[in-house]
Amino acid sequence: MTSITHLLQSFSPSHFNTVFLLGIVLFLGSAGGRLFQKIKIPQVVGYIAIGIILGQSGFRFISRESITDLQGFSSFALALIGFMIGGELKIQTIKKYGNQFTWILLMEAMGAFVVVASLVTFGSYFLFKDIRMALALGLLLGAISSATAPAATTDVLWENKTRGPLTTTVLGLVAMDDGVALLLFALATSVAGALIGTSTEGLGMSLILLLWEIGGSILVGSLMGWGLSKLIRGYIEDDKILVFSLGIILLIIGLTQILDLDTILCAMSMGFFMVNFSPKKSKNLFNLVEKFTPPIYVLFFVMVGAKMDIRSINGLVALLAALFLVGRTGGKFLGATLGSVISKAPETVRRYLPFCLLSQAGVAVGLSVIAGQTFPDPLGGIIVMVVTTTTFVVQLIGPPSVKYAVDRAGETGLNITEDDLIAKSVASDLVSNRTMIREGQTIEQILQIFSTQDDLVYPVINRDKKVIGIITIDNLKDTFIASELSPFLLAHDIMIPLVGTCPEDATGAEAFALMKKNNRDYLSLTDKEGNCVGILEERTARKKLSLKVMELQRKADALG
Amino acid sequence: MDLKNIFHEENCLLLKESSKTEALSEMIESLCSAGYVDNGEDLQREIFYREQLMSTGIGMGIAVPHVRYKGVTEPVAALGISAKGVEDYESIDNEPVTLIVMIIVGENQHKQHIRLLSQIMEKLKDSNRRESLIAAPSGAEIYRLITGEGND
Repeated sequence: MTSITHLLQSFSPSHFNTVFLLGIVLFLGSAGGRLFQKIKIPQVVGYIAIGIILGQSGFRFISRESITDLQGFSSFALALIGFMIGGELKIQTIKKYGNQFTWILLMEAMGAFVVVASLVTFGSYFLFKDIRMALALGLLLGAISSATAPAATTDVLWENKTRGPLTTTVLGLVAMDDGVALLLFALATSVAGALIGTSTEGLGMSLILLLWEIGGSILVGSLMGWGLSKLIRGYIEDDKILVFSLGIILLIIGLTQILDLDTILCAMSMGFFMVNFSPKKSKNLFNLVEKFTPPIYVLFFVMVGAKMDIRSINGLVALLAALFLVGRTGGKFLGATLGSVISKAPETVRRYLPFCLLSQAGVAVGLSVIAGQTFPDPLGGIIVMVVTTTTFVVQLIGPPSVKYAVDRAGETGLNITEDDLIAKSVASDLVSNRTMIREGQTIEQILQIFSTQDDLVYPVINRDKKVIGIITIDNLKDTFIASELSPFLLAHDIMIPLVGTCPEDATGAEAFALMKKNNRDYLSLTDKEGNCVGILEERTARKKLSLKVMELQRKADALG
Repeated sequence: MDLKNIFHEENCLLLKESSKTEALSEMIESLCSAGYVDNGEDLQREIFYREQLMSTGIGMGIAVPHVRYKGVTEPVAALGISAKGVEDYESIDNEPVTLIVMIIVGENQHKQHIRLLSQIMEKLKDSNRRESLIAAPSGAEIYRLITGEGND
């Protein structure tokens, strides 16, 4: 009897060991992501939804203690995100969009701040009849509202392989508007402290602290970036480079926690330094780190969902949250549009940028928690609950609206590599030429075919249209020593046996793998009955794919 | 390639038959009985399949029936002389064929195949040699003429 109780206890949520929990979170999280992707909703939403179901709002499989235990992974995820964003910010691109960035950044951040601050101040004055309290609440929530979540937003961009002016603008903005949000929050905290009468640091002191946070983060990140680029110079093995990179990212997390710096900004500075001052080496490095990120991201977003507690929402919080949401959305739309118009940004940016700025997550929640610790209740508590509620809502609507925006702007799928295309393509689409040589054709006629067409391998068919072999450029070359014979030599005399066949509906990746295995740069594609329908040549297929990649790139460049 | 290792005296024939089918069969038979080919019927099928695609009568009284054949591992050739000519060979110039060089190479001997053809063509370009061959009284003489050096 006792053993059964013991057994049951070991399955109760509070007894889950951390590793087991990690397994469940990753497994269900990615299953949720896949499910949502199937119904055309960004997979981030799926991760968060699974988190909500497993976490505080749902079955509470993930206890508060577990969330605290796994806090380290969230920092890791944020640092990785920061690093990857930094890697996207090439000085060249920033120069091209610099003016645009500054204007839009200021306008969208200030837009949200001003509108939310006014609405919340106005609304809470009616609730509390206390102008000081209302103003403090307005300023703090306004400052928090200016932040945009880089993680959920960029994840949608990467998932959809976007490229173009909207993508570049969004990447730049979401990375930097946290800085603006921190600045506004520091100012708001000082003013609110003065209004409420809590003894926080004065305005001057908090400005100095802010300068330290921003300047220190950039300095430490750049130093680390410099160190890493020096360090990996002597290594070419991928595994060593990956381990060094992850090690440095973890060091950054630890250092920023010790020095009270901003982890995302610091990791971003490192990424920025690497991509701009060591571009050749870092290209591979970013690819390696990117391959490592998916499980960390899944974990992070599930935890974001698990932390939310929808049950703590009451009427007051709901009303303020509604004001916050309306004000923030309106402010971001107004500010981003205005900024785009002033900076003469491309039309797609002006029309669709606001949709990309809705997500909020870590920074917003983090600031609300700081506010909760700095200010006594009800002010502190209200801020935490309002921001938690609104974060919940924008996390769910943010990613789909980013998807909507990039789709409408025509930037989806433009940031695609040859390997992506190979994986997605169907083998028969990669065959550019379906010419067949009859076995009775003479060398002269075959030369004619080779000289007028691009391919270097052709199938040879008999009278019954069955493929009986192939002729490659090498076979043809062998006949050059007997050019006087070319009127009398036939395809039948010089063809060689066919090695390697593959169904025409196989993926490009499968076909390429088979060619590699056969040690040939071609293979024959067969239909359902096993009849050859054409020769797939690696050379022409790659040419076709790289032309496609170039075309997509041109399309992206043409957008702005 | 040294033609002495490819032609053999027993495969250099003064042909008895004068129709294409029979002349070719006679030469295949000689390759079989000399032990260079095991399955005469199989080779015959291959040779005639090739002739169906296009006649190997290339003019000037010369025909070069040739195949890549899985039944041999090294190139082997036979030379048949028909002084009165094979009328039904369907040569490109519609003339009767007096010299038939049958060339069999291994299945994967693509390069050897073309080189051997080219080498033999080079020899037969010489009209004096062709006349000597047609006038040759015996297989031994044919063998000497086709494998000999220079243009004697």
